[in-house]
Amino acid sequence: MEAKANETFFIYEVFSQKSVSASFVHQFSLLAPNEEVALTMARENFLRREPCFNLWVVKRDNIHGLPPEERPFLERLDNKSYRETKGYGDLQARWRHHKEKYEEQQKHAGNGS
Amino acid sequence: MQTQIERFNMTENEKMEAFLARIDRGEKIEADDWMPDDYRNQLVKLISMHGMSEIMGALPEKEWVPKAPTLRRKLAIMAKVQDEMGHGQLLLRVAEDLIAPLGKTREDLMQDLFTGRLKFHNVFHMEAPTWADAGVIGWLVDGAAIITQSMSLDTSYAPYARALHRICAEEKFHAQHGESIVLELAEGTAEQRQMLQEAITRWWPSLLMFFGPPENGNITSNQASNMRYKIRTQTNEELRQVFLKKYLPRIFHLGFTLPDDTIYFDEAEDKWVYQQPDWEAFKQIVKGNGPRSAHRLNLREMSYEETKWVRDAIMSFGRQVG
Repeated sequence: MEAKANETFFIYEVFSQKSVSASFVHQFSLLAPNEEVALTMARENFLRREPCFNLWVVKRDNIHGLPPEERPFLERLDNKSYRETKGYGDLQARWRHHKEKYEEQQKHAGNGS
Repeated sequence: MQTQIERFNMTENEKMEAFLARIDRGEKIEADDWMPDDYRNQLVKLISMHGMSEIMGALPEKEWVPKAPTLRRKLAIMAKVQDEMGHGQLLLRVAEDLIAPLGKTREDLMQDLFTGRLKFHNVFHMEAPTWADAGVIGWLVDGAAIITQSMSLDTSYAPYARALHRICAEEKFHAQHGESIVLELAEGTAEQRQMLQEAITRWWPSLLMFFGPPENGNITSNQASNMRYKIRTQTNEELRQVFLKKYLPRIFHLGFTLPDDTIYFDEAEDKWVYQQPDWEAFKQIVKGNGPRSAHRLNLREMSYEETKWVRDAIMSFGRQVG
């Protein structure tokens, strides 16, 4: 059977994990007729030097992403400090203040006895 | 921010203006973003040529795999050949995503290579008759490639930039592999030194041609539009000067000469002044009339044809079980 390369080779996106504690990272894409060949080619193409713990290939057709015109909406307004640690930057100074106040009181109490 | 409806209502001119404004802001373009046809065509031309050159570039070096002088050298040059094929795969993927909207695939790129419509780099049309040529290719040809590719790391087309990041890291190994061969020969016998001198002399015009003709004040329309689109940021001559400044001192430090008695460094202008290579010959070479053009293209085409049954078999098997 004659396969038409134009119609039949699939695009696979390759993801690899450096170590058991690392997240999977997108590497690149490749063309392959099936998953098995895609996994072999992914090793040949992307893991000739880098350390690797695990490998995924995903058919690009199965990945659903945002179209270009929706991507700008991902940008977040910088008004959510209540969600982030940087919104609570005063805590350290306040703890220090209480500690110092307490120590000062202890010192005076000691002197008085 | 634009909604889909607003984009739909934009005229071609407005889209073009918005696109150029993105480029000017230093934003990067992705494969599925709107882009002018001209931008797409320039990228396809550049990246498919780059990709095919990686693949064709493996051929002169592959000739030295069976004849490498030691096992370590053989392993290293095999690794390099494998890397070059890998780079070809990356770049062809980038080109394929660009030509997909035009209904074209890798098969079209391969056929364009075989018919001569798609060019490959001038250096890969040349002979590599001695082991010193393998060294000079690694040291100076890959060295030149690193300079061009490093410039392009900041290209406005994001997928190309991502491919180049992977490629540049490996090219550094290639250049060192070449330096190692060259230093071994340079520190060797009189016969080895002569072999290396002959290789440097042989490759000199090709190395000057590598970056393309100088602008002489007139940047070609291709170069100008690629710079406008921030696909590239430096001219042919600027890149060539970076190359000369980096490598000429090293050639002289090893006690070798160039087939150009007139070459000198102009301190005031801060540039090397050299004899121009034969740019007519350059045109002929990239047209496919170089010393090894036909041979290497035949080899590539034969290999593609002879392995066709494997691709077909995997494909039809994959379809039956998958």
